[in-house]
Amino acid sequence: MTNFTNEAIEINELPKFEEVQLRGLHSNYLKVMLFNFSLLIILVLGGFATVFVLKKDIFSINVWGSIFVALILLLGLIVFFTKKSFKKIGYAFRSHDAIYKSGLISETTTIIPFNRVQHVALHQGFISRKLGLASVELFTAGGSSSDLKIPGLLLEEAQKIKNLVSQKINPTAERIESEPTAPLSTDSNE
Amino acid sequence: MSKFADFSQPQRQSLPGIVVMFANTLQKSVRAFWPILLIWIVKIETLNKFFVFGGITVAILIIALISYLQYYFFTFHIDDESNEFVIQKGVLNKTRITIQLHKIQQVSINQSLIQRLVGVHKLEIDTAGSDKKEASISAISHDLATILKERLINHSQLDRSEIAETILEENTPTSFIKIGLLSLIKIGFTSNYVKSFALLFLFFTTIMENLQQFSQNEVIDEDKVTSYLDKLPILTSIAIVLGSIVGLVLVVNLVRTVIKYFDFTIQKSKQAIILTYGLISTKNTLLNPNKVQKIKITQNYFQKKFDVTTIEVHQASSDVEKVKEKDKIEVPGCTANERDAILNLLYKKLPTREKLYLPNWRKLAINSFFLLVLPLLISLILVFNTKIITWKEWILYACVFALFSGLLLWFSFKNYKLFVSNDFIIKQNGAWDIENNIVEPYKIQAITTQQFFWQKGTNIGSITLSTAGGTISFSTGNYTEIKNLVNLWLFQVETSEENWM
Repeated sequence: MTNFTNEAIEINELPKFEEVQLRGLHSNYLKVMLFNFSLLIILVLGGFATVFVLKKDIFSINVWGSIFVALILLLGLIVFFTKKSFKKIGYAFRSHDAIYKSGLISETTTIIPFNRVQHVALHQGFISRKLGLASVELFTAGGSSSDLKIPGLLLEEAQKIKNLVSQKINPTAERIESEPTAPLSTDSNE
Repeated sequence: MSKFADFSQPQRQSLPGIVVMFANTLQKSVRAFWPILLIWIVKIETLNKFFVFGGITVAILIIALISYLQYYFFTFHIDDESNEFVIQKGVLNKTRITIQLHKIQQVSINQSLIQRLVGVHKLEIDTAGSDKKEASISAISHDLATILKERLINHSQLDRSEIAETILEENTPTSFIKIGLLSLIKIGFTSNYVKSFALLFLFFTTIMENLQQFSQNEVIDEDKVTSYLDKLPILTSIAIVLGSIVGLVLVVNLVRTVIKYFDFTIQKSKQAIILTYGLISTKNTLLNPNKVQKIKITQNYFQKKFDVTTIEVHQASSDVEKVKEKDKIEVPGCTANERDAILNLLYKKLPTREKLYLPNWRKLAINSFFLLVLPLLISLILVFNTKIITWKEWILYACVFALFSGLLLWFSFKNYKLFVSNDFIIKQNGAWDIENNIVEPYKIQAITTQQFFWQKGTNIGSITLSTAGGTISFSTGNYTEIKNLVNLWLFQVETSEENWM
């Protein structure tokens, strides 16, 4: 540690995370996002519809009209912003870390070095499974705020990524034995 | 006492442990049945004395029997073949807890009041990661506890002959720092005002509520108090009320600090740092410098004049989901020299403040808008519409608020700084209590940068560094500089050979 000097390294010559070309998510994931929002919309619509059928009188016909228009507008806005935010999501894997960027209003970039990953998990939701998608989650020791979840990957791709990360963290897994990284290597097909 | 105690055979706790178990069970029962007990006490005149005391005797006998059985069935031993620490317990439901020795992270020896009275200690074992099972032995003699602790901690790394050596050394640890009563009094007078005030407030409201429930007529005649205060000039009565509140807060603060941290001693042994403190119940904690993730140093203006600081050491959390209280160790009231000595001990060198990063002035502007201008505007509209107070009063209150809030805002902006050197990241913030959070770059777990879309034009952004002991964030800084820092820290983390824990 004492003979470790970093003076010679120019900050500007270091690899820049902000210049990495990010990959977008699979286009099918937009359907998943829209589906999740449409569930919400259906619930709201259903609620209003029940009220409309049971107690039509509490609002005048004009109010009902404007509620209908507002809901349609809301639906349009949600579709518009979902599409926009979908385009904003990007991820990249460098040789030493994973980068994930998202957010329309607040643009957030999370970077996790592979030598800090505790274990990797692969998730598949109901809709995602139907569309052949999966998400990969990287866990660190820094608590839930520093975990990274990359959704909307093709299952094959997600498995490849999981194996890649598992392999990257394997040397560390041997050092810190008994970490739950061990079972992950079982389904690696390399 | 044998220094080479045999733990391979299942053994019981020390015999006085029955008393501890009895006290614990009794306490639990009283806690569970206190409403009934309370009614009995209130209505003791009307009840048959024979049944009441007979019932109490029977209950105590049952509790005593349960305690004895609990003691009888509680055994612990170290399984040398599988390298596991095993606890077996339970009267009807048998429980067997096994802990792999290399998973043990921390072993602490504590003593509560009852345990002190009968001369036994409590040994608690903390394990790592997802394995949430935790074990404790609630009555064990101090000598045995020390040996067991060493065995449990060293087992995975050392063979037995070496253990014996370390035990001999452990038994004579060098006293390193001792926090005197004077420092504790200084800290007690100068910190935690808000916390103590909240405690007092809670205490009094609960007391008043309970008293009013008990008897319909209020015990303290509020009218009397108000009429007494009415007789005095307004300023005097305000002074009396304020003075008594401030006095009470100070006293509570002082008592709390002294009881909690009495005789605070830091000892250094070969393997770890040992902290001992407490007046009524003594706490004994092991601190492993490798596990330290973040250090927070807090000092306010008074404390600076008195030369006392508080240091909080955040260790890697054994339970990732919720950061436990015991992963945060507080060293109250050390002088500047002692602070440097502790930092030296934990980091092997003193953190330096090299390159300085400051927030953009817009941070002050935005905070001022939300915490100064907006509240004033809301109150203005409210007064304009409802006229609950006169304009004169509003101007008076608004001036006081603006002054207070403005000062806080200005100082919290002025103190908001980030210092970066090769080996340390120091973030300073706070208006009155000035905090310095220190993190070593190679202990970073993840980096998050964040920018709102309207901040793109002005090139402003924020950064959050996650460690296993908490996060550090710096907001509204120059985004280009932040991105450069991210690249530097990523480089440091990814090339670091050092184990972060």
